[in-house]
Amino acid sequence: MTTIALGAVLVPLVAGVLVWFAPDRLAGRLAVGAFAIGGVGAVALAMPVLLDRPLRAFGGVVALDALGAFVLIVVVAVAVIAIAGSPAYLRHERALRPGDRGRYWALLLWFVGGLATVPLFDNLGLIWVAIEATTIVSALLVGFARTPAAIEAAWKYLILGSVGIGFALLGTLLAYASSVRLLGETSDALDWTRLFSIAATLDPGLVRLAFLFALVGYGTKTGLAPFHTWLPDAHSQAPSPVSAILSGATLTVSLYALARFHLVASATLGPSFSSTLLVAFGLLSLMVALPFIVAQGDLKRLLAYSSIEHMGLGALALGFGGPIALGGLVLHLLAHGLTKASLFVAGGGLVEAGRSRRIARLSGSLAIAPVDGRAFLGGALLLSGLPPSALFVSEVAILFGGFSAGWGGAAAGAAVLLALTVAGFLFHVGRVSFGTARRPAGPGAGHAPLRAVGLAVPLLTVAVLGIWTPDPLAGAIARVVAVLGGHGG
Amino acid sequence: MTATTLIDACAAGIVGLGILLAVTRSIGRSIWLVAAQSALGALAAIGVGMTLGLAQLVVGGLLALGAKAVVYPLVLRTMLRASSVSVERRPYVGPRLSLVAAIAIVFAAGTATSDLALATSLGGTRALPAAIAAMLTGLFLMMSRRKALSLLIGLLVFENGLSLAAFALTYGMPFVVELGVLFDLLIVIVVGWVYARRMLRVFGSLSTDELRSLRG
Repeated sequence: MTTIALGAVLVPLVAGVLVWFAPDRLAGRLAVGAFAIGGVGAVALAMPVLLDRPLRAFGGVVALDALGAFVLIVVVAVAVIAIAGSPAYLRHERALRPGDRGRYWALLLWFVGGLATVPLFDNLGLIWVAIEATTIVSALLVGFARTPAAIEAAWKYLILGSVGIGFALLGTLLAYASSVRLLGETSDALDWTRLFSIAATLDPGLVRLAFLFALVGYGTKTGLAPFHTWLPDAHSQAPSPVSAILSGATLTVSLYALARFHLVASATLGPSFSSTLLVAFGLLSLMVALPFIVAQGDLKRLLAYSSIEHMGLGALALGFGGPIALGGLVLHLLAHGLTKASLFVAGGGLVEAGRSRRIARLSGSLAIAPVDGRAFLGGALLLSGLPPSALFVSEVAILFGGFSAGWGGAAAGAAVLLALTVAGFLFHVGRVSFGTARRPAGPGAGHAPLRAVGLAVPLLTVAVLGIWTPDPLAGAIARVVAVLGGHGG
Repeated sequence: MTATTLIDACAAGIVGLGILLAVTRSIGRSIWLVAAQSALGALAAIGVGMTLGLAQLVVGGLLALGAKAVVYPLVLRTMLRASSVSVERRPYVGPRLSLVAAIAIVFAAGTATSDLALATSLGGTRALPAAIAAMLTGLFLMMSRRKALSLLIGLLVFENGLSLAAFALTYGMPFVVELGVLFDLLIVIVVGWVYARRMLRVFGSLSTDELRSLRG
């Protein structure tokens, strides 16, 4: 059963080769089929882990605990939103050439398939390899439109991403050096489970350095300030469904990798070293995102800076620690992934229909594009953490957890920054949604029932989760929190 | 010759080639230099593997030799031939200052790692400071050059430093990880090629000066 499910998760990676060469009209169908198989396999792997106990297979190469299973579910959920938004993007994109559709779907398969393998690996080296591979594949997607701005964004993403994550490899090496001395040259000396179980006896000097480099490397990929400079370019220039995955899933996966290092570092050095750094970089990210959100004129960059803000909050929660903040973090990553992905798809629809990213030129979208306009407004309200959003619950939990874990100053600062950011964000959202329409209602604005459902389901889920947490979900969150709290899961 | 002296000799060569790279403005010559640097790193792995009888080091070294010293440089040369520029004409930092910077980096890497407790536990090789120096030289090249190709060369130098660090710290990573890293490097070069071609078509040059429109 496990073997079949694992095989299914690898289907998108293999199918990508086929889809690359498939004729344009077949590529989409083949890709969606491959995604469906992979998604079912991923859910089949993750659910038993979230509801019951961790999974180990193939002699420990594959090891899925509750944290990994949770990240896998976020990747699948975000991918579904992005796939549902892709046909509309491909219809609107004017720069497409023959064969481009096949290439788009193939790259999307490799990108999502690669992301899904990250939480499956126990080996920190293979986690690095998978994350770096997805970075490079997604660089091709970022520049897909071939405009000068897209090429610029993709180039920066490729180079800064590769260098940044090079530091994470150095961090991984140092972790390996620390464990090899205790375990000898065995192949499992880089396995996280193994490292974590002997963390108390590792060389503190090496582990400290390992965490620092991992923080720079995976911090770059997570979009933590000051390593975030590539993020607004890449997330704004990429095709909107790709932006959805970049913001909703890639950032989460990178924070996941960082969390693994944080857990080892906390067990070796005591909690204060890595926690303090995470809180500091989290706060810095909130500070850096604020002015760019307030003064933003570009709709997709607005969403991109909001991702920096939310990942900053994620790092903060990881640093705070304790069951309340960590529970908030888990809910936050899920709700942010669903909301931000839907917002990029809906906002991308507005941008593609309005042929401009400028907020000033997109005003009155509620009247022009009923489906995307409503989804954008609803998603933006949810993302701002206004009740009944699950993000309201998660943000309150993170801040409250911070106060109760002795991080009062940082939590208070974060609360102020969040409030200011929300005000700035909603001001722009108001301009986009209301205001005078600059153009008449476009074709296809009123009749897109499938798209409406595709956007409404994730957004309603986030709203419902803000009021009601089903028991299985609460149990799953508790298991993830147990892993994040260092108690296994 | 013991494994330690072999590593130290190759590490010294890697640092020396890094300094040469910093003062070279011809992109064609830089490609040869970085290929030689990659070859030294791979030879160190092969030599140590043979001395100590570690088969996986030899295989990894041979793969690295083929990929980083032969295939990637050939791809870079193809890119170079397709573009009209062959010289880094106006780098942000000129050759003389680059020489000073490259030497300063070597000394900084040496002092920074000398007081680390870990230096003593590495069997006495001086490869770690050399590795850090090569990584920093690669970063310096990437920050001080304008041409897309020079940036890719800088990335390769950075990666040579990383592999040397892997080698100095642990005699290499587990084999699958080494393979994965080589594979990732391959796709970075290929994707870099794709974008270099697009830059040539859209901007008519490989200069990253054109890439300054995205702000705020």
